[in-house]
Amino acid sequence: MSDPRVTGAIRYAQDVEFEGMLHARILRSPYPHARVLRVDTSAVSDDVVVLAPEDVRDVGHYGCQIKDQTVLAIDCVRFAGDPVAAVAAPTRREAEEALNLIDVEYEELPAVYDAVEAVSEGAPLVHEHHPISDNDAAYFGMRPQQGTNICHRFRIRHGDVQEGFANADVIVEETFRTAGAQHAHMEPHASVALWKGDRLEIWTGTQTPFNLRMDLAGIFGLLEDRIRIVCPPMGGAFGAKTFVRYEAIVACLARKAGRPVKNVLDRNEEWLTLNRHPAILHIKLGARADGILVAKHVECWVDTGAYADCGPGVAQKMGYAAVGPYRIPHVRVDSNCIYTNLPPNGAFRGYGAMQAVWASERAMDILARRLYIDPLELRLKNVLVDGDRFCTGEVMHDVHFIECLKAAAEKIGWTEHRHGKGLCVLMKGMQTPSRASIAIAANEDGTYDVHCATAEMGQGAWHSIRLLAAELLGVEPECVHFPVPDTDIVPYDTRTTSSRSTYMMGRALVEAVRDLKKRGEIGYGECVNTGGLDPDTGQGIASSHWHQGAGAAEVRVDEETGKFEVVKLYTSIYAGRVVNRPGAELQNEGSMMMGLGTALFEEMAFADGQVMNANLSDYNIPAAADLPDLTYDLVEQERAEIHGLGETALPPVPAAIGNALHSLGIHVTELPMSAERVLHAIDRRNAGAQSLTPETNTDEEVAAQSEQMEKGSD
Amino acid sequence: MARNVPEWLAPTTLEEALDLRARYGDEVTVVAGGTFIGILMSQRIMMPTVFLALRNIRELAFIVGNLFDRTTAGGLPLRIGAMTTHRAVERSAIIRQHWPILAYTFSLVASPRVRNQATVGGVLADADHASDPPALLHALDARAIARSVGGQREIPVEELITGYYETSLRPNELLVEVRIPPGVERAVYRKFRSRSSEDRPCVAVAAVQTNGKLRVVVGAVAERPQYFPDICSLANSQQLSRELAAEIGCRYAESIHPISDARGSAEYRRRVIAVEVRRALEDFLSDRLSEANRESGVGGLYTVEED
Repeated sequence: MSDPRVTGAIRYAQDVEFEGMLHARILRSPYPHARVLRVDTSAVSDDVVVLAPEDVRDVGHYGCQIKDQTVLAIDCVRFAGDPVAAVAAPTRREAEEALNLIDVEYEELPAVYDAVEAVSEGAPLVHEHHPISDNDAAYFGMRPQQGTNICHRFRIRHGDVQEGFANADVIVEETFRTAGAQHAHMEPHASVALWKGDRLEIWTGTQTPFNLRMDLAGIFGLLEDRIRIVCPPMGGAFGAKTFVRYEAIVACLARKAGRPVKNVLDRNEEWLTLNRHPAILHIKLGARADGILVAKHVECWVDTGAYADCGPGVAQKMGYAAVGPYRIPHVRVDSNCIYTNLPPNGAFRGYGAMQAVWASERAMDILARRLYIDPLELRLKNVLVDGDRFCTGEVMHDVHFIECLKAAAEKIGWTEHRHGKGLCVLMKGMQTPSRASIAIAANEDGTYDVHCATAEMGQGAWHSIRLLAAELLGVEPECVHFPVPDTDIVPYDTRTTSSRSTYMMGRALVEAVRDLKKRGEIGYGECVNTGGLDPDTGQGIASSHWHQGAGAAEVRVDEETGKFEVVKLYTSIYAGRVVNRPGAELQNEGSMMMGLGTALFEEMAFADGQVMNANLSDYNIPAAADLPDLTYDLVEQERAEIHGLGETALPPVPAAIGNALHSLGIHVTELPMSAERVLHAIDRRNAGAQSLTPETNTDEEVAAQSEQMEKGSD
Repeated sequence: MARNVPEWLAPTTLEEALDLRARYGDEVTVVAGGTFIGILMSQRIMMPTVFLALRNIRELAFIVGNLFDRTTAGGLPLRIGAMTTHRAVERSAIIRQHWPILAYTFSLVASPRVRNQATVGGVLADADHASDPPALLHALDARAIARSVGGQREIPVEELITGYYETSLRPNELLVEVRIPPGVERAVYRKFRSRSSEDRPCVAVAAVQTNGKLRVVVGAVAERPQYFPDICSLANSQQLSRELAAEIGCRYAESIHPISDARGSAEYRRRVIAVEVRRALEDFLSDRLSEANRESGVGGLYTVEED
C-alpha cells in the first residue's frame, strides 16, 4: 500500500481549498505593550474584507484555561505580534498589500519581559483581571492571583520541609534556567472557515477539536453542535496546534465576507504564535550523609507570555515533575505561571517536564558530588518503586525507573569509567482527568470505519489505532479505515496531547469492539481516567499513568572553545507494550533529536520584547550531521498495558548531557548549553581548581578524594 | 490597489545583461542563485522592484583549471565563472584534485539544497560577513573580474568587500569571474561553528602560504574579512613553530574588534580567534597533513578535516 505521504496524495490542512475562497493576512502590533488609539482601515479598497477591533468588540472572550483573549487585540496590545486587524482578499499578495494600507495609532506602555521582574512590586500588569475559563481544558482548580501577573499558582505541601532541611547533613541549592523555543513543525498553522447560515465549519490543523469547538461556541454565542471542526492530518504540531489559534479570526473574516476564508501563516509568524515556556527553577535539596533524600523545595517561574493559553497546566506539571521520581518525606513546591509581554507560550512536547528534569536531575548530580556518592547509586537509593507514595499522596504502580536507569548506565559503560558521562531519570504525567471515546462501524464489504477524534500530526496515531482495531477485530489493517476526524461524526475526546492517544483510545477501542460484536453494526467504547490535584496542597492523583524513562550521554569537550560533541546519547523508555514498532521508534528518535536541539542551541532571542531570530537560519534546529551515536530501548513487558511514548525521550536529553559535562567539573545551569556558556563554566572550574570544592573538580578527582577520605577513616 | 509585482529581467547573454545593468544601474537588484535575496525578501528587509537574473547566462558558469605547473609563479590562474554554483565547485574533478581547499570550503556552506543554488559570484557580491568562501578567497589572494559595457577590471577580493554587504563594484558593473592565482603551497580553512553543523561560522580562519608568504584571514567576526599582513610577516623571518602559531593567534585576537551576535559575544569570539588561528597554523605543521600531502602528490596544497 503506497503511503499518501510518500506519493503526495495526502491533503494537509494547508491544502484544503474551496470555491471562491479568500486568503487572510494578519496585521500585528509592532509594540510589546501599547494602547491602541485608532485603527483606520479606510484606505483599503472595497474588494478586500477587513476585520478591525470594532468588528469583534461584541463577540465573546476566550482562553482554554484563563479567559484572557479577544479575537483581535481590543484597546490594548500585549506583545509585539499581537493581531490588531486582519484582511481577506482573493490572493495572498492582495491581502498582504492591503495590510500596508491600515493605519494604526498606538501609545506605548511600560512592558515587562522577565518572569521574575513581572512578579516584583510595581511591575506593569499585562492583564487587569484573570477570569477563569469555562472550557473543559480548565480541568483543575485555577488559582489566578488577581492584581498580579500570576495567572495560576500551584503548590505542593507534603511533610514539613523546614524540619526536613534541619535534619539534612547536606543541602544543595541552585537556580536553573531554560530558554524559550519554537516548535518548528514543518507545516505552518493553517485553517479554512466557512459559514452555512448560522452554522460554522472549520477545516484546521488542530490537536484539540473539541476544546476548539467549545471556545468558538463561547465566542459566537452558538451551541456547540452549530460548529463543525474537521481535522486533516498535520505536517507536525508538537503542541503548537492546540486550542484556538487563528480559527476565530478566520471565522470572523468568513462571516463578514460571506465566503470561505483561509489562513496559512508565514514561517516567521510561527514565533509570534506559540512557543515553549522559558522557565527559571530554584531547587533546594537536602539529604542525609548516606544519600537518603530528606527534603526538597522547588520554586518555578513559568513565563507564559502575553496570554495564559495552557500555561497554568504547564506550570502545574512542571511543579510536580521537578520533585522527580523519588521518595522524599518533606516536599514543598511553589510554581507560578506568570504573564510577560512576550509572545504566548503553551504546550510543547515535554509539557513542562523538560524544564523540570533539567533542574531536578542536575541538582541530583550536584548532591551526589557533595556526598561523594556515585550519581547512579544516589538515584537507586531514592527512586520510587511499586507501592511507594509520591509527594502528591498517590500510590505508584507499574513502576520501572530502576530498570530504565540500569539500562542507561549499562549502555554508557558506567562501571568502566564516568569521565564525560551523565545519567538522569524522569517521570512525566499524563492528562488526568481525561476521557476518550471511539466508535467503530462495520461496512457491508467487510471493512470497518473508525470514528475517532485523535489527530494525526505525523506521530502515526491513526496507524497505531488501525493496527489495534485490526488485531481486536481479527482482520487485516487494510480493512480498517480511519476517516479524517469531524466533530459532527466522531465521539468526544479530551484532546491529542500528553502522549495519551494510543493508551486511552486503545482502551476505549477494546470496549468499542466488544460493543460492536454485541450489536452488529456499530460499536461504541469509552475510557475515562479520573484524578486531579488540589492546586493549594498538590494532593490527589497527578497522573493515572506515568511516563517513565532514563537517559545517558557521553560528551567530548574542546576545552579551549567550550564546543563539545555529544558522542553518545541513549534513552531507555518504558513502553509497556509496543503497538507499532517503526512508529514507536521514530517517535523516540524524534523526541531525542528535539531534546538535543534544546540542549545545544535552540533559543528564542529577544530584544526589547521583539523576537530577533524568527527564521530557521538565525534560529538553529538540529541537522542530520548534529546527531550523535543515538540509541534507545523501548522497555516492554508481557501483558503490560500500553504506555504513551510520544514525548518521554525529550526531557532526559538536556539533563543527561548537562550531567556528562558536570562529570568533568563543567557546571552549566542554563539551557541551551552553548559553547560560550560551557567555556565560562570551564573558566570557573579552572579558577576554582585550587579551592578543591566538589563543584569545581572532575568526578575522577572527587573519587580520589573520596578514596583518601575512606582511607583516612580506616 | 497598488500592485507591486517586481519586474524580472532574465537576459541570456552577458552582453545583454551588461546593457541592462548600464541602463538600470542601482535601480536593479542582481540575482544569481537567490539564496541570499530570498532570505532578505522573506524577512521584508529588502523589497526590490526590478531584478536582473543571471541564471540564463550560460557563459558565466565555467571552471577552467590550469593543470600544468600550478605551483610555478608564472602559471595561469584557476578561473571560475560567477554563475558557477557552490555545488559545482565542490564536485568539480579539477578542483577536487588540484584545489581541494576550494572544494572543501564550498562544501561547508549550508546544505546541498542551498549549494545547488548559491553561486561563486553571488557569495562575493553579497559581501555577507558570515559566509565561508570570502575569507578563503581573500587568503588565496583571489581576484574578482568586474565587467561593464565600458570594459573590464580586476579587483582583489581584499578590496572588493568593503563592509557589511558593501562592495567596491560600481552600479554599471557585474561580477563575472573569480581568478585564483597560482603558487599556493599550503592552505587550510577552519570553520568554527558554535551551534548546528549547518550554521554559518562563528569564527572562520583561512591560512594560505603562497610563494613562501603566509596570509591568514579571519572571517565571520567583523564587517569584512580580517587580514593583518604585519602579523603574517612574522612567519617570513622565522620558521613556523607551535610557539609562533600561538603568537600569531594571540596577535590576531588582539587586533580584531569582533562583533557580538547569536553565534557568540565579542569576548567569546576573541578567545576563539586566538585558538582557531593557532590551530590553522598548527595544521600546517602536523605530520598527518604532511602525510596526506605526500599521498596526494599535489605539491603542498591540501585541505583538512575539521576537528
